[in-house]
Order: sequence, then structure tokens, then C-alpha cells
Amino acid sequence: MNEQQAREDIQIIKAMLDKTRKATSESGTLFIVWGCLITLALIGNYVLVYFKKYHWEWLVWAAVTAAGWIFSAVYGYRKDRRAPVKTYIQIVGRHLYIACGAGFLLAGLILPRLGAYSYEAISILVAAVTGILFFVMGGLFEWALLKWFGLAWWAGAVGLTLVKGSDRALLYTVLFIVCYLVPAFILRAKFRKERSSK
Amino acid sequence: MTADRFDPLDPVIHSPLRLAVLSVLISARQADFNYLKKTTEATDGNLSTHLAKLEEAGYIRIKKSFQGRKPLTECSLTEKGRAAFSAYLRALESYLPAGTKKG
Repeated sequence: MNEQQAREDIQIIKAMLDKTRKATSESGTLFIVWGCLITLALIGNYVLVYFKKYHWEWLVWAAVTAAGWIFSAVYGYRKDRRAPVKTYIQIVGRHLYIACGAGFLLAGLILPRLGAYSYEAISILVAAVTGILFFVMGGLFEWALLKWFGLAWWAGAVGLTLVKGSDRALLYTVLFIVCYLVPAFILRAKFRKERSSK
Repeated sequence: MTADRFDPLDPVIHSPLRLAVLSVLISARQADFNYLKKTTEATDGNLSTHLAKLEEAGYIRIKKSFQGRKPLTECSLTEKGRAAFSAYLRALESYLPAGTKKG
């Protein structure tokens, strides 16, 4: 063994780690599906508010959440079963999704229904949990842009406390489009590019 | 640099294919045979031989089962294998000039 051979060994290690990272990169499918469902819920919410049917707002979100959880569970199970390789990053990522999903369910539906806080506070808490999701994902997948979106969600959570009523709903919608849908589609495009470059 | 400053390399790992297999398994809980074959660009026979050597040394665990009607061979790193891989990395560093080791 000499220095040249040692460098060749290091190249092998780097190449294998890189290939595995690319093979298991985040597809963004769940992000896009959840993005579509939340967009539907926001539209449904707007329609109900327009017709002053406030009483049914929670039902729209409950239906969307149930649909999202069922899809995520089936998708996750099938993907996991067929995966030729299971990395620790994927395992941590899956637990992050479940933890944040539970956070959304508690902060967005269960706790306000139990009277823990007013419905007005839901968007603030959901924004804070979304910030955690993006920030940790950015760290896991070594993608600084996602961390910045995480920071933007946290700043948005603070911003949401400064406005009320329909202004808060509007700010949340803008936040959702810019800091959720945009990165979800960037993630998807990145995944496709990595797959095609293999 | 004199030769006595070089750390000895583990002969079980010191083969490009076995090193490649362990490099995949270090970041994964498990990987199946076909994935390892595709990633390392090895042939069936060659990969099987090297996997057997790694298993014999206690560095990997091989689990054989069926997925539907298809046979499935899954490999994972053992604690002994993880320790050996770490030691191999440290030994490799001793062959690099000072100041380039972290690069």
C-alpha cells in the first residue's frame, strides 16, 4: 500500500457512498401529495368562510388529514417493502415525517378541538412544526436551501402573530405557496435530475 | 515518512470489491444482493464469493428469504464489521501526507 493506493481506496468509499445517497434521495412525492391536499383544504376553507359556514371548517381539515395519513401509510409501506437498500438517513427521515405528521394532527386538529387554544392559533403552531420539518430535512439531506425554508417558516410563525383574521389566512396561504409548494417542486425536480444522471 | 509509521490494513477489507460492499453497508441498515451487484458493478459469482468472505470474518450478516416467489438475499453490517471499517479508515489515513487527511 502506498499513498496512491490509499487515495484509490478513498475514491471507492466516496463513490459507493455517493451512489447510495443518489439511489435513496428524497423523491418529494409525499410533499407534493400533502401540498395538493392542503391546497384543496385551503380552498374549501375559503369557500366555507365565504358562505359563513364556519362550523364545518374542522371537517374539511379532518378529511384532508385522514386522506393524507392513509396515502402516506400505504405509500411508505409499499416503498419500504420494495426498497433494495435502506439507509439510516431514510429511517431517520421516515421518523421525522411521522413525528411532524403527529405534530400537525395535534396542533391543527386535536388540541384546538379539545379547547387547548383558540382556532386562531392553529396556523402559527402549524407553521412552527413545518419549520422543524424543513430545517431537519435540510440537515439530513445536506441541502442548505431547505434549512432556509425552515427558517422562513419560523419567521412566518412570528409574522402570523402580528396579523389577525383574514390577513392571517392570507399570510399563511402566501407562506404555504412560497415556502412549501415551491421547495416541494424543487425537491421533485432535483430527484428527477439525480435519477437521470445515474 | 518511514514505513513503520504506516498502520497495517485489514486483509479482509483490503480488496476493492469487499471495500465497496462495506462502504455501501456503512450507511445502510441493509442492502439486497441485486443492489450491491448493481452499485459495485460486480458479477453474481464474484460478489457471492466476496460476501462469503466478509460473512466468514463476521463483518456482515446475510439473510436469505423469499419475496413472493423470488429469492431475496439481504446483507447488513455487524458491529464487528463497523469497528473493522472504522479501523481501516484510520489505517488508510496513515498513508496520506499530513494536512490532507481530512480532505
